[in-house]
Amino acid sequence: MNFSIEQLKEIIQKPDTHYPDVDLRKYGIDIPNVKEDLVIHEDIKVSETAQRVGFKDTLKLNYLQVNEDALYKSIEKELGKYNVKVMPLKLALEKLHLVKDLSWSLIKPITDKYTAAAYLFGGELGYFIYVPPNTKVPIPIYTCLVITSNNKVQFAHNIAYVDEGSEAHVVTGCGVPHGIRDSVHIGISEFYVAKNAKLTFSMIHAWSRGLHVRPRTAVNVEKGGEYVSYYIIYSPVSSLQTDPLVYLSENAKAYMASVIVGKENGIYDVGARAVLNGVNASVEVISRVVASNESETYARSEIAANASNTKGHVECLGLLLSEKARISSIPTIISRNPNAKLTHEAAIGIIAQEELEYLMSKGFSENEAKAILIRGFMNIDAPGIPVSIKAEADRILDMVSKYAVG
Amino acid sequence: MLLELHDLYVCVDGKSIVKGVNLFVGSNELHVIMGPNASGKTTLLASIMGLPRVNVCNGSIFFNNIDITNKSTYERARMGIGLAHQNPPSIRGVKFYDIVKAFLKKYNCQNWSSFTDLLRINDLLKRDLFVGFSGGERKRAELYLVMLQNPRLALLDEPDSGVDIESVNLIADAINYLMSIGSSIILVTHSGLILDKLRNVNKVHLMLDGKICYSGYLHDVLPIVMKFGYKNAVEMLLKQKGD
Repeated sequence: MNFSIEQLKEIIQKPDTHYPDVDLRKYGIDIPNVKEDLVIHEDIKVSETAQRVGFKDTLKLNYLQVNEDALYKSIEKELGKYNVKVMPLKLALEKLHLVKDLSWSLIKPITDKYTAAAYLFGGELGYFIYVPPNTKVPIPIYTCLVITSNNKVQFAHNIAYVDEGSEAHVVTGCGVPHGIRDSVHIGISEFYVAKNAKLTFSMIHAWSRGLHVRPRTAVNVEKGGEYVSYYIIYSPVSSLQTDPLVYLSENAKAYMASVIVGKENGIYDVGARAVLNGVNASVEVISRVVASNESETYARSEIAANASNTKGHVECLGLLLSEKARISSIPTIISRNPNAKLTHEAAIGIIAQEELEYLMSKGFSENEAKAILIRGFMNIDAPGIPVSIKAEADRILDMVSKYAVG
Repeated sequence: MLLELHDLYVCVDGKSIVKGVNLFVGSNELHVIMGPNASGKTTLLASIMGLPRVNVCNGSIFFNNIDITNKSTYERARMGIGLAHQNPPSIRGVKFYDIVKAFLKKYNCQNWSSFTDLLRINDLLKRDLFVGFSGGERKRAELYLVMLQNPRLALLDEPDSGVDIESVNLIADAINYLMSIGSSIILVTHSGLILDKLRNVNKVHLMLDGKICYSGYLHDVLPIVMKFGYKNAVEMLLKQKGD
């Protein structure tokens, strides 16, 4: 690797270019642990958090990380039928040769202070998922990351590899229980979608004020592969900054959807980047932002087309529920090929009075009508997301829309 | 009387649109209001529904012997008044079936399944509400939502305008059904396209420049309106009445 440990340490000392900077030196770091036999976690804080991010019980989980403790099932009964491997990355790096080549390959430790810190201090906790070739895995792979202590940094380094012609659904929930007010979550995710394979990745975040969240995600989609991401954040947070990057080869496609519910005085900086490197590659970037209180949201997107017959579209819609909230939509489309078709549309507004009055004329009170409209606004038909996941996401968004109007 | 309008004056943006209307609709009666464009028909229905964009500046509205002149639109809806809007808004993101679910929860309509068949709604349910609907689909969907309200009084604003003949037939069937289960209806139309398909029209009111200028029976009024137009028809009918 073309960097030194000293360089990484130096990066950590400096303020980051992303606003706001998080001084990681203020936070403690626990010693990473790997524990087998994840059956049920008795800590009520963990089960409460799991519920907040859509998991009714921790029994279903294939990987659970509580602070710096990684828990997994040494025997995967259901996923085992498909020869799917799910284990802490630390263990995978020790056992499986392939993983070393994948690790820190799409995301370089030198990228920023958060990746540098994860590389130096993360202990390679996080999950590793491998789906063998020509295997369609109908059951989702559930992973959950929870922080239950204050003043700590939680690191996770996740790698998923879906081999040729396979299909898998990864579902991740990250969050804190009530009462956690000051911690940092740094998640590094490197996903590989091999030739003609498909990966859907659904993620729900439920943090609280005082939390700083820095996910770093990169995805490589090979020829004919498909990647679908569906991301929801519906809680307060001090700051969230993420900018997933997807590389698409020939005939590969991606669909990246985000629902951002901005609350209190949180800063939500959520992007999506795609590089269309192969002929006929395509991407859609869809975001919905609902901003209340004094929240600040930056909905970024960047599509770069480097090959012919590529297509990219950005659709960013924002709904302001408060005069003190702010939404910035920042779409960028870059074309280096005359045969590429790149488009974007963005609109930010308030709830349409005409629609509100229409629903009220049907017998809905103002708040009921607003909730219906907010709920509808957050609807995104992300293709291929498993029905059970969609139902859980719907349940959360139903609740969000009801609370959004008090 | 189910509905009573007493000397009703209605303004929109400070401009007087409805000018002294008296109208009385009994239980299970079908009244038709006809008139040219911009004669105040839609505003009259909007004022009965209590839409916020219209303002009753004089007169009163009684529904089931209760003065509803100052009641909010959603209270009126819950009392049993349903309005099929002339141009319901396209609501992106809100699925038709989600709205139907919300209606069923609120109004507990038992016959929703047969209404779905009657108005051929099934293919529309997965779509965003009114987004990209054709003229006929829009009118059928809007009438369907009114039917889910179990209305005691249905206000139907131009359900026959801009629709294909198949949709007109379905809409007429739905109106006849509403009458058969005891609802009252005020139907606004300027084309009159649907009228010969309706079983029981109790009265036709002709509206010109914000006023109901003539009220009579369908078979007396319609042929004259169709032949001579609204203004001339009113003059002729009033003259006839005077003779």
